[in-house]
Amino acid sequence: MKRVKTGTPGLDDMLMGGFLPETANLVEGAPGTGKSTLGMQFVYHGIVAHGEPGIILTFEEFPQQYYRDAASFGWDFPKLEREGQLRVVMTSPEVSKVGLEQVGGRIERLVREIGARRILVDSLSHFERMSVQPASLRRIAYGFVNSLKREGLTAVLTRESMALLGDADGADDALAFMVDSYCLLRYVEIESAVRRAILVLKMRGSDHDKGIRQFEITSRGLEVHAPFEGREGIMSGSPRRMVDSFVQAFVQR
Amino acid sequence: MDSARMDLTGRLMADMDPSLLEFLQSTIDSFVKWDLVRFFHENPYTTDTADNIARYTGRSVEAIRNDLAELARSDVLDEEQLGDMTVYSLTRDASTRDLLAKFAAASDDRQFRVKAIYHIIRGAR
Repeated sequence: MKRVKTGTPGLDDMLMGGFLPETANLVEGAPGTGKSTLGMQFVYHGIVAHGEPGIILTFEEFPQQYYRDAASFGWDFPKLEREGQLRVVMTSPEVSKVGLEQVGGRIERLVREIGARRILVDSLSHFERMSVQPASLRRIAYGFVNSLKREGLTAVLTRESMALLGDADGADDALAFMVDSYCLLRYVEIESAVRRAILVLKMRGSDHDKGIRQFEITSRGLEVHAPFEGREGIMSGSPRRMVDSFVQAFVQR
Repeated sequence: MDSARMDLTGRLMADMDPSLLEFLQSTIDSFVKWDLVRFFHENPYTTDTADNIARYTGRSVEAIRNDLAELARSDVLDEEQLGDMTVYSLTRDASTRDLLAKFAAASDDRQFRVKAIYHIIRGAR
């Protein structure tokens, strides 16, 4: 089965080789966990390693911010834009939605102009301002996700979670059903240090690693490491050593 | 007095690149337009409504609406109707984009800025 490699060492192993082509892949996490970096890495890797041009659709950060962040990892985004392999597009959810719905709309033109195969949408959370009705929001998000697939794009869609540690807030999980894969990025506290954890919750049409792994943001981008071992309750944000849980459950009774 | 002022203007603008002088005289007659041109140059694939561009540039929509429309009439921006929204983006014309790049680079020079500011203030009188 063909895979779209993310370019994040370790994550492709968790995804059994990468995302499936022309799918929508949700990456959710608290501010600073690395959602945008993972998405930029996905787009950058596609261009330089696979010759697949890409688009970054931003609803909040200025393109200049992406250029600066990318440069800190050694990724020259302005050069890729000059070469016609990348477009960092700042717009609003309203404009991008209508632009994708229309035949020959601006995003469709951009996709064809550079032959884009990958897209980062940063972030889907901004769609929430388009409607206060959950059913309406679901319809909007469903149409948007399908229009990206129609254009033959493999998409990374980010979503913000306001919970810095532990369980996420009550986000509308209809989106989780709508997308093809769902990755969670979390901060976890271990022995007075904050570390980052990644979990692939879902991957439609493929098996995937069910483990919770540590990851780091290095000077080269995201790197996913080995699973957390000897701990439980990782996604709660405050993991316990398994031996402590055992003592609590059995010995101290 | 007027001729003295003209002399000063002439002397100030004399050593300016002719293409930038022409661009200033024909297109950039307000600080808002200057800001907008710089914004679109720095974020060249932005496509949005006047309301959102106002938000991005930290101004009110009333302050930028007319200048956006005038920049579109000057072919610096593209104006497009998207459903019931009017959206603006930077022209795709390569020569205009090159001119904006030249203008942005020149704007980093203090002497050029002083001259351009004088031109705008004089035009606003």
